[in-house]
Formats: sequence, C-alpha cells, structure tokens
Amino acid sequence: MNLSMTPQPIHLVDQYDDGDHSRHYTFQLAQPTSEQIQPGQFFTLTLAGFGEAAFTYLTAPDEQGRFQALIRRAGVLTSQLFKTETGTLLGYRGPFGSGLWPIEEIKEKRVLLIAGGIGLPPLATAIEALLANGSDVGLIYGSRDYAGQVLKQERERWQQQMPMIETFDQAVGDQLSGTPLDHLDAINQQLGGEVEAVLTCGPEVMMQAVGRSFTDRWQSTDNIWLALERRMHCGIGLCGHCYLGSSYVCTDGPVYRWREFLKQQKVM
Amino acid sequence: MSNPSKKVINTICPYCGVGCGIGLQVSDGTVTGVEPLPQHPVSQGMLCVKGWSSAFALDPYDRIKTPLIKENGHFRPASWSEAYQLIVDSFQAIKQEHGPNALGLIACARATNEDCYAAQKFARTVLGTHNIDHCARICHSPSVAGLRQTLGSGAMTNSIDDIEKADLLVIFGCDPTENHSVLGGRMIQAQQAGTKLLVVDPRKTRLAKLADLHLQLNLGTNIALINGLINIIFSNGWEDKTFIEERCENIDALRKKVAGYPPKRVAEITGVPVDQLHAAAKMYSQSERTFLAYGMGITQYTSGTNNVIAISNLTLVTGQIGREGTGINPLRGQNNVQGACDMGALPNVFPGYQEALDATSQEKFGTAWKCEIPQQKGLTSLGMTSEALNGRFQGMIIMGEDPVVTDPDQNHVLRALEALDMLVVVELVMTETAKVADVILPAAAFAEKDGTFTNCERRVQRVRAAIPPPGDAKTDWQILGELAKLLGYDGMQWPNAEAVFDELAQLTPLYQGMSYDKLELDNGLQWPCNDATPDGTKLLHSGQFSRGKGRLIPVDHTDPAEMPDSDYPLYLTTTRLHYHYGCGSMTRKSPLLERETPSGVLFIHPDDARKLSIQAGTLLRISSRRGEVETRAVVTDDLPPGTVAMPYHFKEAPSNLLTNTAQDPVTKMPELKACAVKIEVVTEQ
Amino acid sequence: MKSYLLDSLENLFQHLAVSHKMFEPQSIPGSEDLHWLPSPKGPTSRYGTSKQVLPLAPAKGFLFPERELLFRFDGQTFIETLPEVAPQVLFGLQSCDLCAIAYQDQFFRQDSYYLARRKATILVGFDCLTPCDGGFCSTVDAGPFVRDGSADLILHPKGNEWLLIPASEQGLNAIQTLNLPPAPAEWRAEREQQQAEVAKMFPTDSHIRTGIERINQATISAEQWQRLGLQCLTCSGCTSLCPTCSCFTTFDTKTEGESNTFVRERCWDSCLYEAFQRETSGHNPSKEAGERLQRYWFHKFSDHYVDEFGRYGCIGCGRCEETCPGGIGVHSIMRRLEKES
Ligand code: SF4
Ligand code: SF4
Ligand code: FES
Repeated sequence: MNLSMTPQPIHLVDQYDDGDHSRHYTFQLAQPTSEQIQPGQFFTLTLAGFGEAAFTYLTAPDEQGRFQALIRRAGVLTSQLFKTETGTLLGYRGPFGSGLWPIEEIKEKRVLLIAGGIGLPPLATAIEALLANGSDVGLIYGSRDYAGQVLKQERERWQQQMPMIETFDQAVGDQLSGTPLDHLDAINQQLGGEVEAVLTCGPEVMMQAVGRSFTDRWQSTDNIWLALERRMHCGIGLCGHCYLGSSYVCTDGPVYRWREFLKQQKVM
Repeated sequence: MSNPSKKVINTICPYCGVGCGIGLQVSDGTVTGVEPLPQHPVSQGMLCVKGWSSAFALDPYDRIKTPLIKENGHFRPASWSEAYQLIVDSFQAIKQEHGPNALGLIACARATNEDCYAAQKFARTVLGTHNIDHCARICHSPSVAGLRQTLGSGAMTNSIDDIEKADLLVIFGCDPTENHSVLGGRMIQAQQAGTKLLVVDPRKTRLAKLADLHLQLNLGTNIALINGLINIIFSNGWEDKTFIEERCENIDALRKKVAGYPPKRVAEITGVPVDQLHAAAKMYSQSERTFLAYGMGITQYTSGTNNVIAISNLTLVTGQIGREGTGINPLRGQNNVQGACDMGALPNVFPGYQEALDATSQEKFGTAWKCEIPQQKGLTSLGMTSEALNGRFQGMIIMGEDPVVTDPDQNHVLRALEALDMLVVVELVMTETAKVADVILPAAAFAEKDGTFTNCERRVQRVRAAIPPPGDAKTDWQILGELAKLLGYDGMQWPNAEAVFDELAQLTPLYQGMSYDKLELDNGLQWPCNDATPDGTKLLHSGQFSRGKGRLIPVDHTDPAEMPDSDYPLYLTTTRLHYHYGCGSMTRKSPLLERETPSGVLFIHPDDARKLSIQAGTLLRISSRRGEVETRAVVTDDLPPGTVAMPYHFKEAPSNLLTNTAQDPVTKMPELKACAVKIEVVTEQ
Repeated sequence: MKSYLLDSLENLFQHLAVSHKMFEPQSIPGSEDLHWLPSPKGPTSRYGTSKQVLPLAPAKGFLFPERELLFRFDGQTFIETLPEVAPQVLFGLQSCDLCAIAYQDQFFRQDSYYLARRKATILVGFDCLTPCDGGFCSTVDAGPFVRDGSADLILHPKGNEWLLIPASEQGLNAIQTLNLPPAPAEWRAEREQQQAEVAKMFPTDSHIRTGIERINQATISAEQWQRLGLQCLTCSGCTSLCPTCSCFTTFDTKTEGESNTFVRERCWDSCLYEAFQRETSGHNPSKEAGERLQRYWFHKFSDHYVDEFGRYGCIGCGRCEETCPGGIGVHSIMRRLEKES
C-alpha cells in the first residue's frame, strides 16, 4: 500500500461513452510499478484543482502501466473528468484496500455475482479472475433501464463465457423485469445447481437485500461478500470519513464478508 | 533560539450580532486557526460553526488587492490616486448638475463603528445629503421603528446573561440555534437546567422540537396570535395591573382592540388550537421572569413594525420588562447592525439616534463637523435604487454590502445599479454587486483592522488587527477620509481608529463614557455608558422607559401583501442556514461549510412534495410574479404544508429573484418572509 | 532511567531554549485564558503546586495543524511539501494531553507530515498535584501524573525543587550537558505514593463509568441518541478541541499563474457535520444527528479501539464540556446516559 498523500502523474489515454452518463477510461501511469493489484482494490484520481475521488480498477495495470476504469458522472470532479481531453495529465494514488474479493476461498465453488447499475465495474476484476481460473460463475445484472447499463463490450465477451441474466427496473419489450433476486432460480438452472457463494455490488439497499436473502436461504452469513462505497479523502485509514463501525472501509474494505458487515453495523 | 511569530489575537467574531470573543491564531502573518475564549462574558469558551471556520474566510486568495476601474466592461487594476480622481470628478459633476441628493452611500453592518461613523459623516458633510443607509432595512428596521414608539429605544432591553436568569424563554419567529448559535446554545443549556421554553414559529425549528410548548402558527399571523394572547390574559385577569397603572399609557384603546380577537377567531386565523393559546398566555403572563427574543420572522413582513408593536404590547401588559430575566430582545442579524444604527448610518438620525432634521441636533453636528447640515430628508437604500431608476439619483458608494444578492427583487436592484453614472463598491472580494461597479476599492477585513463592534446586547467591544490587509487594501474610514480630503473636506483625517472612536463617543451620548482603555478592562461596555452610568447598562427601562411611559398601541392583523392563489398556490418564506451568513461571501470559502450545503435548496413538506411528485434531490423550478430560479428539493416536515422555504445565501439560486418588494409602510422593510410561488419539476437530461 | 534533581526550572528552560523554539501556555492581552504561544522569556510561575488550568485549545495543532499543505502541482509534477520544523519544545504539558499525543503518535505513525513535526518536538510534562476543573484523567487512566513513555522529560515538584525524569532517549540527550545531580533515591517511590493520593482528590465521576458501560453494552437506543443529537449545533467545537480527534478533509486551491497549478491542503474535519459521510450520490450512511453523535462517543469510549491504542480515545480533559454550546459535552452527555434509559 502506498501511504503518500501526494499523487503520481498519470495520463488519460483513451475514453469512450459506455452507458448513461458513464464512460470507459484508459489511463497510463507515467512510472509503471511492479505492485500487483488485487481484485477489489481501488485507486484515486486527482484533477487539477477539482479534488480527488476514489474509483475501482476495471483491469489491473499492465507492464506499461495501462489500466481501465468505468466512471459515472455524478459530482464536480467527474463532471470535470468528462470534459477532460485524452492526453491530459492527472494525478493517481493507489492501490488501496485490503478487503478483497475472496478469489482463493471461492474458486472451487459455484459463484454468483449480483451487480446493480454502476456496481458492475467493481466486480469486473473478480469476474476475470474467476473466469481465468475456470471457476463455475454466473452474473445477474440489474439496471434501471437499457441506457443505465455499463460495460457493453465486457458484457458481450462475458456472455460467451458464463451464464448471465440482465434485468431492468423499467423493462420494455421482451426485457426481463424485476430485481436480481427475482431471477435466482433461473441462474441456478443455468449454472446447473444451487450457487455456493455470492459477491455483490450496487446500491446499499440492494446489497442488503441480497445479504438478507441468502442468509435466509443458506442459514449462514459465511459465503456472501459485498463491496461498499464511502466518501474517502485519504485511502489509508487516516481521514476518518469512511468509517463503518470500528473499521475503515478504505483499509479494511472495500469488500466485506456479509457477517463482518453486519457486525460492524451493530458495534455502535 | 529566535522565537517564531506565532500569536493569538483576542478579537470579536464577525458573523452575527451575538459578539462572541474569538482568539485568532496568527502564524507568519496569516490566520491559521481560531481558539475560543473561556472567559469571554458572552461566548464563555463556545463558538458556532462559522466562528470555528473563520480562518478560511480570511484566506487572501480571492481578495481584491488593488483598486479596480471598469473599462469596456472589464476591470483593470489602478492606483489609488487614479481611482480616487475618477470618483471625485464624477461625484463633483453629478453634484453640480443634479445637486447633492443625487448622491448617496450604503454603509455596512459588518464594518466597525468607526467605519460606520465615517460613512455617515462622509454622506452628511462631504456629499451633503442624508442619503445614508445600511442593511438593517432588510433585517431589523421595524424593531427600531416599533420599539422607539412604544419604549423609546430600539435595542435589546436586557442582556444575554438574562437567559440564565429567566424562568421562561419565549422565542418568536427565529431559531437562535441556527442563526445565533452561541446564544441559542445558552438557551438550550438553560432549558436543561430547568427553564421553560415556548417557541412561536411556523417552522418546526430545532428549538421548537426541544420546546415545552410550540405554537406552529400560519405564516404572517403574528399580530392575530399576540392580540389573541392578550385577549386571554385580560379575560383571566393575568395582566400586571400595577405595572400597567404605573408605567404604561393607552391601555383602554388596547383593551378595546384585543376584544376583537377572541380565542376562537384567533385559532382560525393562526391555525393554533385554543388550548395551546390558553396555555401560552398563562405561561407567558404567570411566569416570574419571561425573557422574550424575536428575529426576522417578526420583522420581515409588510406588517413588520406592527408585529414589533404587538410584541411590545404583550410584554408591557404582563410587566415582563424592566427587570432581570425579562424583556424584549430582538436578535440582530449582522455582527454590527446595532452599531451601524447607533452610529447613525440611517437617513433619519445622526449618531445616537439624534433626529437628522431636528434643529438642535443639526446645530450640534454642524458645529462639531464644521459644515452645513443638509436640510432635505434622506433616502433609504430602496429609495435610492428607486430614484436611480427614475433618473434622479446618479452616484453611489456601497461599502461591503451585496444588495444584488441580499435585497428583495434582484432584477430591480441590478437595473437600478446599472442606471447609475458612478457606482463605487468598497469590498473584500468580487461580489455580484461589485461586478456592476464602475470603481472597486479594496477594503480591509475584520481581522485586519482595529475598531469596535456593538453586539445585540449593546456591548461595545474591541476588534483588534491580527494581520495586515492584503495588497493595497485599506480600512473604510481611511478610504473615506482620503476621498473627503480630495473632495475638499478636512474633517476626516484621523490618525488611527481610536481617534475616530474618541470623536464619535463625544458626539454620541450613549457612548460618551467609553474609551479604548475602558473597553479593554472588562470585555467591553454596554450602552448607555456616560457620567450617570460609567460602568454601562445591563438593563434598560428599569425605573422608567426611555420615552417615559410605555405606550400601548393597538394594531390589527393584516394579511401578507401577496397570498397564495390559484396561479401561485404556495407560500414561500426565506430562511437562513446556520452554516452561512449574509450573501455567503465569507463563509462559502470554507470547504467544510461549502460541502454542508453545496448549492441552493428548497424545503418542502412531504404532503406538498407528494402532490407534485417531488423527491429529495428533485430539480425544481420555482417561480413567482417577479422571476424564477432552479434548485433542488429537500423534503421535510419541519415546515407546515402549503409553505416552502429557501435560504437566501446562494448566488446560483437567489431566492431574492422571487421575493416581494412590498414594504412595511413605516420602515420600507420589504416583505421577505412571505410571497406566493408555484413549483414545477424540471426534467433532467 | 536515572532521575535528577533540578533546583531551578529557569535553568532547564534556558538550557533547552539554546537550541529549541520554546512554547508554553500563556495568557494574552485582554484575557486571562491560556493559549499555547512562543515563550521568549522563560517559564511562567504556574508550575508546581498551584491549581492546574488546561489551555482550552490543546497542543494538538503543533503536530497535526488545523491546515496542512500536502503537495503542490506545478502543471507537470506533484511535489510533496513536507513541513520543515525547527527543533521545538512544548513546555508545560499535563499528563492528559501527553496521553493524547501518545495516542496521536500511534494513529499517525505512518503519516509523514505528522512525523516531520513530531520528530522535531520535545515534550516536557508536569505532574498535576491538584485536579483541574472538569478534568477526569484519573477515571480514564490518563493522569494526574505523567505516564512513562508519554513525555521526553517529566517534572515532579518537590517543594522548591524538582524531580526531573528523562523519559526518552531524546529527553536524556537534551539534558546531558546540564550535569545535574542525581535525585535522592526515595523520590521516585514517594512520587508513586503521591499519585494515588492526588487521584483520590478527583470527584468519583460515576456518570462517566456508567456511560462508558452503556456505550459498550450498546444499550442506548437510536431514539435516545436522536434526542441528544437534536442538541448538537454542529459547531465542530468538540472535535476541534478534543486532543485525540484526528479526522480531516482535503481540498484544492488553484494558485495564481498557470491555469492548472494548484495546492492541496488538509484541514480538520468533524464527524458531527451532516455531510461528513455524504456521498456524491446523496447516500449518507450517517444521516441523522443522533447517529453522528453516537459515532463521536463510540470513538472516544469503545473497547474496540483499546486493542490498537492501549487506552480509550478520551483522555479526560473536559474540553468538549466547556466548548459545547448544545450542552452535550462529556459530563453532560454521560450524566444523561446515566439518568435516562
Ligand atoms: S472527549 Fe472530551 S474530555 Fe475526552 S479527550 Fe476529547 S475533549 Fe477531552
Ligand atoms: S461541541 Fe457540541 S454542538 Fe458542537 S459539534 Fe460537538 S456535540 Fe455538536
Ligand atoms: S478514506 Fe480516509 S480513512 Fe478511509
């Protein structure tokens, strides 16, 4: 973990629109590091004078230091990013986070990933790691509507590699409707058996529903993981903003085992 | 080893009329932080969020550092002498062509007494006009007008310390925990220690939620409510008969008037149930000591002056005045609005409320200032803008005020200022008003000057310079003194702030016994302070009222000038947020305060929100007969259904594009607290 | 370590002043309140047996200042701006504040800005022989006598003389050339005894103990927190003055010149602010004032943090009680928690 509060230079090298208010970015570190990025970790971007915000890696930096991220326009910083031209110098800090997607622990299991809206990108590194390992894995992706979906190219590729269900709050035509949890039986069928581990990322209410539902189903809180979003100003457990109970999401998370998440929610 | 230049300067917080003591930490010439002062009599080691963030407000990065002259629509830096010459030439030409009344000055209720004194002296001697005003107009001129009629003095009758001496605290139309936090905090602490709390407000404010009794009256029904309470008091014989007998006049007329406000009728008008009216009347009159405080929910109406008179009636008939722990206590907005009034930064009075058109006063000031005192009545700030639109007013100096954002009806103000031949703005930063100026002169901020502020309890306190002003910036009184000299008047060449104070103390009976040395001793002195009361005065009106007998004046309920109708079905009221102050030019520089309320918001009741399919964060267009603004919704049942509220701090969503210019007939106070609007949802891309 | 007999504070002070900037709590014109300020002249006379007064603003800002420059960007590179701090002495720290610094030392152990300031600083602590108003150090294991390892030099009054205990390498080095005589052998033991006696002079503070218990058993309802939260005016006074509070936010300021040059600073933040955790989406994990208040007191008194820090986050100074306008500082809130269930 890099403990410095000073960013390193990074260039924006490619960008294309990918879903409503969302864009697919490629960045290149000016000085590539040999540090390995683990699925679940995140980094921060600095835009000159507009502050700093945290994002998850879509891909880990390669030898040239190139990596990708999917970013939705939401506040001042991202609005500025959307106006930023390819080639621009930005600031980068990372990688951060020690709560990771538990690839080793679940790779022999039948794994279901449940994503909601902009919660899909944080799952991408887990999907790739599990697919690379040849694990049994399926995805349910819920969005508000068609335009709200992100990672079009990735999903087209994943479609070939694993069972995948896409569902919409405001379905039209022959689109599937409902929440991801409405399609559990279907995905189980496609996977050829009851799933044994769940990774989820999306709005906190959705993740909580997923957590409760599988706890009921399995009478256990063991094999459920979620990735949290918090306001972050340091990434290294100092600024205090990202607290969850007695933990810090930036250092203890962003991925929590459901059981740990419940415990942290209750400690106070 | 040599020691670093770290110091702490003991001064007064510049954000509201409470006047808390604040220690500014200074390192190498910049203010790096603040410390509260435990022994300060008002703040006792506390500060509000604005005080705690003052170090950011003093960040010099966006300060204006040199005079600026507008050329072809753009400002360019200029020397003082060039800027002065431009003003002098223009003012002289205007005066020659249109006479002195085409010129005027708006002083600043955030500036020091010394600055305000210099401002009104400049208007009356150099410009030769009583066209001098400041922003009390938009907060508390009705207090001055109302209480001067009934008691003879417009200030807070008691002291902040009386909060802890009262048995009952009554808060009318304001939430001191938001706008005067330290004072509000002392109220909360008093309640924790056993004092009862009664709140009268259309909104469920924090204090209302904590209160023992909350009367949630309909917007704009204060007089009906108060008349109703007095009616109940009379019918139960709860009035203080001896007090009325000995110290009040005109009781019969009042009795007759309130007879027309029986509880049932009042309940209908105000929306407050009869049993609550009854309980409140009993609490107020039967408590041993009732401390009543009120704010802009009383004054910012076309009936503002009458609202104040009604409050005065209630206080007088129950004898809840003239003793410790009682009184009528207007909570003033800006830090030195009391001082600006005391200093005569008003068209109708000299310093110390001596009538501007009275012969004796004219003689006194004419002699002291060695000049002819103008005979013609002066204009208020709204009068000046109206006359500018009529082409009869051409030159103006605005000191540190931002009327474009804070005045009602923004379009009107903007057009008026643009119509001027010469607008001079003396400012810290580039405000919306400064943008339309012809010349901007860089002013020193509170931490950069010596002087005095007068807080709401009439306490005159020393302000001390902690750091030098940035660039070429100067103190208001210095700027005005230099301009005066160029315009041919020698009477404003003071060597330092203390000299200004000594002059004003001599001419202001209320301040006569004060000097910088005496102010040092005990964290300031409360006026009147003179030979009779050398240690100042904590309690006004103890033996008799300033005007002799307390005058009871019957007043009637009137509806706000604009009521909701089918076109504009909702009431809009303006509020202040704890985090910001005035137009926000100081407080919005703090990243923390800015984060707390990122841009303008509209507060709306869940019932109204449901009807219009509005959720938290929905983008809305709010329109009134005067204009429209866009902002986001905050859904809260802190307001009654049918009423929406907007804070007025944000230039992105200026509520004053919407508000009504209808005025209080006495003080010309605009009705900022109520107007009719309609709301539409804006579909976002 | 050995301890020494010091006959005059003045000597020690002047000795340290040769190579250090000296800071001490002092009053300023127009007020008798104490503030941490440069001390050009030498030790003030308050030390020893006189009644202790804590400066309302602690020495926290010397090590973790209210605003700190993190880096600047010149258009091409991000340049870290570590503070350059000349050697300094904080003279006259009480035990509670020293425990707070020890706590911060733990928390900021990898923060280069804090470390740059900390390394340049010598801490001179004094044992308190009487309780201060509102203090309860003895209840939270933070005083009244200076804890080993929390100061560089410890001073303990002995009539007109002083027992001087160098409590760190740095402390020992700082006094080496003074050539002080050793202290009488029995003084250390006497000091131990006296500590127990002074601790007995403090009020019983049962409300603090009960409050801590209730916080740790999590028996306080959300409604009760919410009721108390109504009294929080979000002034940020408690977090600004609490010597163990450490939250900050970062912000950028454009600098004059090149269009995209800027500096980033960090400044103190407060967990009581409504938007402390609010995310860009509007989602706010601690939306209610009660939740935020609960957070503050959890962080000060939860057993969860004892593993990492070896103590509670509260060192018993009572500053939050003094500055809270809402009447919910440490004593008030603990009394309410004791009284209302
Ligand atoms: S919580 Fe209060 S008493 Fe405890 S250390 Fe912080 S400021 Fe002092
Ligand atoms: S000092 Fe009191 S009012 Fe201020 S933030 Fe802390 S708890 Fe809230
Ligand atoms: S982001 Fe700063 S502590 Fe987690």
